Amino acid sequence: MKLRGGYNVHLAGRPTNEVRDLPAPERLYLPLRSRRFTFSEIDVTDGQKVACGDEIAKDPGNFNVPLLAPYAGTVRLDALEGHVVLEDLDPAAGCSVREHDESAERSRYDPAVSEWKRRMLLELGAWQFFADAHTGTPLDPSGTPGAILVTTVHLDPHVARGDVLLRGRLDEFARGLEHLQSFLEYQPIYVAMSDIRTDFASEVREKLRGHAFVNLVAVPRRYPYGHPVALARHLGLTPSLENPVWALTTAGVLAVDRVLTTGTPAVERIVAVGGPAIDAPTHVRTVVGQPIHDLIGGHVTEKPVRVVNGGIMTGGTVGPEQKGLCAESTGLTVLVESTTRPFLGWIRPGWGSRSYSKTFASEVRPAFPEKINTALRGELRPCISCGQCVDVCPAGIMPNVIHKYIYAHDIESTIDTRVDLCFECGLCSYICPSKIDLRQQFIDAKKEIQAELEALLEEVEE
Amino acid sequence: MRLVANLLDRARPLFDEGGRLNFFKPVFDAGDAFFFSPATATAVAPHARDPLDVKRYMTTVIIALVPATLASIYFFGLRMIPVFIVSYAAGGAVEVLFATVRKEEVNEGFLVTGLIFPLVLPPALPLWMVAVGCAFGVLIGKELFGGTGRNLFNAALVGRVFLGLAYPKAMSGAWVEPGTGLLGRATELSVDAVASATPLALAKAGEFTATTDLFFGSVLGSAGETSALAIILGGVFLVGVGVASWRTTVSFLGSFAVLSLVLHGGDVGTVGWHMLAGGVLFGAFFMATDPVTSPMTSAGKWIYGIVIGVATALIRNLTGYVEGVTFAILLGNIFAPVLDETFIAASVRRLREQKA
Repeated sequence: MKLRGGYNVHLAGRPTNEVRDLPAPERLYLPLRSRRFTFSEIDVTDGQKVACGDEIAKDPGNFNVPLLAPYAGTVRLDALEGHVVLEDLDPAAGCSVREHDESAERSRYDPAVSEWKRRMLLELGAWQFFADAHTGTPLDPSGTPGAILVTTVHLDPHVARGDVLLRGRLDEFARGLEHLQSFLEYQPIYVAMSDIRTDFASEVREKLRGHAFVNLVAVPRRYPYGHPVALARHLGLTPSLENPVWALTTAGVLAVDRVLTTGTPAVERIVAVGGPAIDAPTHVRTVVGQPIHDLIGGHVTEKPVRVVNGGIMTGGTVGPEQKGLCAESTGLTVLVESTTRPFLGWIRPGWGSRSYSKTFASEVRPAFPEKINTALRGELRPCISCGQCVDVCPAGIMPNVIHKYIYAHDIESTIDTRVDLCFECGLCSYICPSKIDLRQQFIDAKKEIQAELEALLEEVEE
Repeated sequence: MRLVANLLDRARPLFDEGGRLNFFKPVFDAGDAFFFSPATATAVAPHARDPLDVKRYMTTVIIALVPATLASIYFFGLRMIPVFIVSYAAGGAVEVLFATVRKEEVNEGFLVTGLIFPLVLPPALPLWMVAVGCAFGVLIGKELFGGTGRNLFNAALVGRVFLGLAYPKAMSGAWVEPGTGLLGRATELSVDAVASATPLALAKAGEFTATTDLFFGSVLGSAGETSALAIILGGVFLVGVGVASWRTTVSFLGSFAVLSLVLHGGDVGTVGWHMLAGGVLFGAFFMATDPVTSPMTSAGKWIYGIVIGVATALIRNLTGYVEGVTFAILLGNIFAPVLDETFIAASVRRLREQKA
């Protein structure tokens, strides 16, 4: 299937190429929840001393994916609601190294090898980077992939960029791909790369060209073309329960290499700290549990702000109860909360506004990044059927039509018009002139449909 | 700006809960939002949004109507200004009334309807008729269906048909001789209504007005429909910025041209003349392209345009009517939901094949 729709969301506050180091924190606040995981089973006791890489908690609902201690320190369980606090940190202590099983290393095609690799990936914190390409859900570590899809293209304007993560770590990336290849029999590993022509991009291409099992996929710079679902459909990879397509990001491949090559836990994170309200948007080398205040403090230009976990298109708001960086975070996007009311905004020529439509004077300017805040920029109205959402939708569905069915509580037609094909990129909500939260409506509708299906199944079983 | 903000702030308590004018809160809110866009923030992701809103969408249509509006004043005199005011007042009153009763916000749709409506009327129509027609169009054509975004028919055309049926004599006899000379009639306050025939009526009798007059607009006709030049200027802008769908415009004009060519035995000159005469261009650029009353699907828009183009040509050439654009577009409006149904069903069939 051809890549369709999409929009190059061009906004100010995009992180630069640089990766900044942070001073060592005094305490770490490890949230017990992230987007997909709930680390409900705590494996440590209050006051226990842990080493870097020790398991602190795991998610029994998701194959026991662990939450690891990023540094050596002392555990405090009741210090903060919803978090495990780690204090008396000793970042210099270094992480424990797992025994390298020499015999397993030699016999590459022995199934036991892959058993060992799977255990390493899970226990040393790399497995959380794996997801089913079609559903985004965590994968069974004992499963066999139908294919492996690696995306280095992250086009949500403020999230950590694949090229930044790759800089200086190309060898590690290639080695990570080699490790992944041992999970496949004959299928290639698809690596999605931006189709831009820079020296660095050609260097990456050159490096990967030597690997016959790597299938490079050139992706145009349009959000959300780097999304695993968009890519999987583009490549004709079909969803499967038995042999799901494994999806990884750049950070995931680097974590695989770290775990399987050095036997040390994947606790380091490189995340983006950006957004229009940050004075020097950049990438930061950090760990899970890093206090959010340390990450953005001193860089916020204007208050009040909204801190978003991930990018503006799909990220969730970081509430006041969350103190530290969560396990799955790819970065923080900081936006100024909308408080001012623009005067006669609707009739201004719009020289400084970037729009998907062509109704702003900026249309005659070359592309420029707009400084944007959390304003809805208009009032909620009934759908006027302008059709922009149909043009922009990368899933090839008709958001306006589905919206009308949802509005009429017509679940059957909502299913027929394939709300399930929506992969929640958020573009329709972003451009809707009637300011309808289409993405949220579709998420809710899908949940409702899922619940009804499950109820129906139960009835049948009885 | 400060001044307006202060005035609004001082008036606000009157309209708030418990205030004396609380009943008129939607009116106040509309005025308030007119000057200052609300600061409302996004509640869910995406956390930021595109700057386009319905207000600007409608404003873009109004900007595109400026050339035709100015042309109407140029050719038919300053009397057009009170006509516009009356039309806005009548349409706005109905909209505000419904918003107040429904406790909803005043919708921007009437800003377009209120301007488009006088442009499709004979210029010398009595003001009270303009008021009655616009109120009828907005009330029956729009509000009863649930307001902008939910109406089936183009509200301005509903009002026009109503006037045509209720006051046929006035609607066919309130023409104005277009002004000539450098300033046209743009300096004249009052104009005389004449009952002479429009170019289309003359054409039925075999007498063709000069094509250049049709192009520039110095002919008898509905206020905003006579100047092809002004309509094309605004229309191309509207299609260019993507607010009007080019599919509708192209299929309407294309099918009209092809069928006219057949009906006129391949006489290209006559077909060209017919394209410029009457409401074809105005309808193709400004009326048929109303997103609410046209189909949502692209394929639907093609067929919709063809339905209108074909119906216009048939009515003009094979019936007793000299002009058919109004009826043709309303006919298209009737077809729109059916077309959508058909093409949505087709795309549902296509989507069914897709795995996930």
